[in-house]
Amino acid sequence: MSVNPLSALPASAASAVRTEKNERFDRWWIMVAAVAVLVILLIFLKPDPYKNLFNFVRDGVWRTTYITIISFVLVIVFGLFVGLARLSKHKVIRGIATVYVEIIRGIPMMVQIIYWAFALPAIIQEMGSAWNIPSFMEYRPDGIVMAIFGLTFGYSAYMSEVYRAGIQSISKGQMEAARSLGMTYVQAMRYIIVPQAVRVILPPMGNELITLLKDTALVSAVAIPELTRRGREFSSANFNPIETWTMVALLYLVMTLLATRLVAYLEKKARYER
Amino acid sequence: MEPIIKIQGVHKYFGTLEALKGVNLEVQKGEVVVIIGPSGSGKSTMLRCINRLEEFDEGSIIVDGIPLDTAENINAVRTEVGMVFQQFNLFPHLSVLENVLLAQQIVRKRDRAEAEKVGMALLNKVGIPEKAKYFPGQLSGGQQQRVAIARALAMNPKIMLFDEPTSALDPEMIQEVLDVMVALAREGMTMVVVSHEMGFARACAHRAILMDAGQIIEEAPPDVLFSHPTHERTKAFLSKVLH
Ligand SMILES: Nc1ncnc2c1ncn2[C@@H]1O[C@H](COP(=O)(O)OP(=O)(O)OP(=O)(O)O)[C@@H](O)[C@H]1O
Ligand SMILES: [Mg+2]
Repeated sequence: MSVNPLSALPASAASAVRTEKNERFDRWWIMVAAVAVLVILLIFLKPDPYKNLFNFVRDGVWRTTYITIISFVLVIVFGLFVGLARLSKHKVIRGIATVYVEIIRGIPMMVQIIYWAFALPAIIQEMGSAWNIPSFMEYRPDGIVMAIFGLTFGYSAYMSEVYRAGIQSISKGQMEAARSLGMTYVQAMRYIIVPQAVRVILPPMGNELITLLKDTALVSAVAIPELTRRGREFSSANFNPIETWTMVALLYLVMTLLATRLVAYLEKKARYER
Repeated sequence: MEPIIKIQGVHKYFGTLEALKGVNLEVQKGEVVVIIGPSGSGKSTMLRCINRLEEFDEGSIIVDGIPLDTAENINAVRTEVGMVFQQFNLFPHLSVLENVLLAQQIVRKRDRAEAEKVGMALLNKVGIPEKAKYFPGQLSGGQQQRVAIARALAMNPKIMLFDEPTSALDPEMIQEVLDVMVALAREGMTMVVVSHEMGFARACAHRAILMDAGQIIEEAPPDVLFSHPTHERTKAFLSKVLH
């Protein structure tokens, strides 16, 4: 059809499309830029201590970033399985998933992370001694791997609730209409349920990403040299808490603001995608 | 002639509640059947058994010669049977046109151009071609229900099922939907309609059926059933509906 798609839309929809175009560059980017510029200005205008400080914590920024990304990808996948399990018709599957979520929700994240890092390896070593399994006795897991496991295991419980709520928010009638047209279950999921659920799920999922990013600071408690840990090392060696923690706070802010923009961009894309 | 829908001894339980208590019904090709009955009598359940949105526990249903047993057969039946719901159930994330095209493309495997030709012809038929690019949320209830009818017709069904298609609508929109249904009936579509619209039943239905408590109580041509009901339960129900 040779109809101009905009001319066929009513005034309100057409104006919605127009504002969307104008706001492709949204104003919140200015905030990201402002914080980033502030960091750069500090480094260049007052290299002592900011430049040294920045160079010192730089690897911490990197570690924080990849712990966040790897954990979040795992949380997206594992959380989906738990969420689907909680919606399962089978009592046992649903029961296991529910118990898991309730346990995780009742234990502070910090304690979970310490448990994975210190208690779990010790349990395995004890088991090794008890049953005489040398590989268990020698068990010394990589700290970062255990930190990622801890975060993933904890956050998947929260994420499963996000998925569950999102899928439940799509009315039963949508699946029935799709099936009545002859679509298979998979087609109905792919073309009808998931595209609608994604729109509902993205905003709370974005929240989870940002909370997770901030909670990576907790793994400093198990001696992972991420940003917070590196900040503490620098500040106790150089006795300059004001500069150190200002810099660390600003660096976290750059990362969280960037993540927020990324999520907002995805939300906007999902809203208009066909 | 072999009936196009053949329901034999169908029982359906929801837990301990027996929603259908041995339903038998045959519908001929081209026939329009209207089903009435009190709330909770199993009208929707019976209708939904015909395209297997609801599983039944006993008995058999054969649609256009295909028994509803295996998953393949169920899908085959579903492509032959269109359904219109009380709550429209349009896909809110797709435009009106996409609503009408999607199943044609992924189930009937028509290419885009062909599907659009069919889709636009149907939107013309239900009287809203100018709304093709709108989203369902921008339409009135009556318009949405007409799109839902077009969406079902796009699959070229042999049978159309309607579950209270006008009862979620404001009174001024009921007629525009009924007009579409009347036109469809006149073209010879086989239709099973759950509805208390007596005017529609009298105008097009070949048969009216009263259900109560999971059973078919009485069936007759609509004029006969509405004016000279024989069964007590039919009389009681009609006196309530007709005041
Ligand atoms: N999914 C379900 N789970 C449990 N019970 C159900 C379910 N669907 C229907 N029922 C019950 O089955 C019986 C028949 O319901 P049905 O919806 O077929 O009635 P109906 O004649 O269509 O009524 P209405 O006029 O209110 O739409 C009712 O008692 C209802 O409560
Ligand atoms: Mg009903």
